[in-house]
Amino acid sequence: MSKEAKFGFLALFLLKKDLAEQSTQGEESEALIMNGLVEHAESINRLLARYGVKFGIYKNNEFHEQLFPFDAIPRVITHEDFQYLEKGLIQRVDALNLFLKDIYSDKQIIKDGVVPEEFVFVSSGYLPQCEGICPPKGIYSHISGIDLVQEKDGEWYILEDNLRIPSGASYPLIARELCRRASPLTFRNTPVIDNRDYGRLLKEVMDNVNVGGIKVIMTPGRYNAAYFEHSYLAEKTDSELAMNTDLFVEKNYLYHKDYMGNKQKVGVIYRRISDEYLDPMTFEAESLIGIPNIMDVYRAGNVAIINAPGNGVADDKGIYYFVPKMIEYYLHEMPILKNAPTYLPFYEEDRKYVLDNLEKLVIKDVAEAGGYGVVFGDKLSKEELENMKQLIIKESRRFIAQEVIDFLDIDIMDQGEKVARKADLRAFVLSGKETKVWASGLTRFTRNPDSFIVNSSQGGGFKDTWVLSR
Amino acid sequence: MGIISINKLDNLYWLGRYTERVYTSIRKFYRIYDSMIEAPEGEYKIYCEKLNIPDIYSGNTEFLTSYIFSKENPDSLYSNMSRAYDNAIVLREELSSNVLAYVQLALDTFETNMTSRAPLLELQSVIDYLLAFWGCVDDYVEDEDCRNIMKCGKYVERMDLYIRLDYHIRDIEKEFNKLANRIHKTHMYYNIEKLDKLADVINEKSEASAGYQEALNCLDGIIEVK
Repeated sequence: MSKEAKFGFLALFLLKKDLAEQSTQGEESEALIMNGLVEHAESINRLLARYGVKFGIYKNNEFHEQLFPFDAIPRVITHEDFQYLEKGLIQRVDALNLFLKDIYSDKQIIKDGVVPEEFVFVSSGYLPQCEGICPPKGIYSHISGIDLVQEKDGEWYILEDNLRIPSGASYPLIARELCRRASPLTFRNTPVIDNRDYGRLLKEVMDNVNVGGIKVIMTPGRYNAAYFEHSYLAEKTDSELAMNTDLFVEKNYLYHKDYMGNKQKVGVIYRRISDEYLDPMTFEAESLIGIPNIMDVYRAGNVAIINAPGNGVADDKGIYYFVPKMIEYYLHEMPILKNAPTYLPFYEEDRKYVLDNLEKLVIKDVAEAGGYGVVFGDKLSKEELENMKQLIIKESRRFIAQEVIDFLDIDIMDQGEKVARKADLRAFVLSGKETKVWASGLTRFTRNPDSFIVNSSQGGGFKDTWVLSR
Repeated sequence: MGIISINKLDNLYWLGRYTERVYTSIRKFYRIYDSMIEAPEGEYKIYCEKLNIPDIYSGNTEFLTSYIFSKENPDSLYSNMSRAYDNAIVLREELSSNVLAYVQLALDTFETNMTSRAPLLELQSVIDYLLAFWGCVDDYVEDEDCRNIMKCGKYVERMDLYIRLDYHIRDIEKEFNKLANRIHKTHMYYNIEKLDKLADVINEKSEASAGYQEALNCLDGIIEVK
């Protein structure tokens, strides 16, 4: 892969230049491609608001719905880059699925000393209640959200695997629909793969494991942060959107009941609630949003649960370190995509390096998510650094440390000015009959010029992600 | 019940037809416009053939602008909206000013966005106004007969477009049931034989295209206004 090929924005620029040169009205053509979307950004954001493209956030114990700010300048991934990412992501997710199967059955990878048991059984994502359960078709992570960043030299790094209930696909999905309405010329003149097949891909994934019955997307309700996504994906997959009060277990089968009391068997449930709240009879007894005894139905093979409960053991920040080793172990292949350089203070050698270099590393608490529990060493005072060192020594399993990746800045529009901001990419990998990577993804960016944190809950925005077809 | 003259009946019926023509055409047009982004030149011709409107366009691009906004093009959405307005403006007494306002707003949206570089975004407002118009009709049009006549026009037009544009037979059947249910409630003359024949055509055919012309012929003669 040439260095140029790695840079989406450069490829787009060259493409525009090429198109402009071909055109008899070169300048006009280029301007249309460049400005078509930006010109209508406000209208697109208005439409996003109209369609309720929001996320929920709790502040001071109060629920607030916020618009997810959309920036009209797309992130562009070249055809070559996507081919590379596609191979690497499929490889990674296939290995993670094999890991989950292994952990909840033979645990061979532990026996062979590739992954230490300390990192498996103390993980909050490991659920002993899932031991011995093989989900339909042996698939654990049906929808995987893999977070990546691109370094300034073009190299891609995996930042995080999300194998529980990764959210975010609905945002670029609806944004693309509106962008095409706003500026059709932009899409006529650029070879962008249409990403609006996500609903179909998700439906295929659900149908693949359906053990017989209706398809349900289960939401904890409208006060969930991702409720827009739950309802939108239900619409796009022809699934029933249901809450726990619509669902019940009878004689080891899961049913959906309507207002007349009629019941329909559920064959596959894409649940958008966390493992611990899924079944009060198995997990958190005080959960009011779960379905009592659903785990018995699942264990009996009478319903497919997407994603499988217990997946958290594989996307734990501590386990992340071992994913390249998993790829070699299960697939006998060299990992295609790289992890960000990571250290586990659990290992003495790594701990020493971390303690000696804390001021230039980023420290992550493995129990936290959503951009929380992330500390940049260079932002800490002397005293804070010392406290952190003591904490790492005391609770070495609790933290990982990573080199700070100077990742690529991406242009966004900020009050009419084009400015550069940090951005990541969540790629969606869908595991059905075969493993596929959605030719798009959620690009999140920080609006704060001094921040690396792109999470929506911390004020970040999103962009459409274009994958070029040639 | 107020007196409805033949002229008023004509206006009410065609107000229903033209507003529906604009509404359904825009909704369909979203998909057509989107598919034309990647479609080869001349793709619009299929649409013209289906609607049986003359092909006066030089290509996809001209079709996309002329078909929406052209004042000179009698088949444009703007022209159809103007005809809806022409029918509505003489019905203030029957409709009420509140209802009439939404027809005016829809027409104004066309007129103020003729040079827009993002026409589809603007057309969303037309859809909104037309939906508000029909919502207001139920609330503000006092005379039930007036409402029924307008709705008959709406369902006839919707069926016409659905048949021409290859909507699923299930959708056409649904609209037929609405029409059949509504038409009995009016005091208009209607051709019961053609209505029954249309029911037979719809029930017999699994695909709309199979009985396309026959269905359109029946539909055309069910209601005779003027």
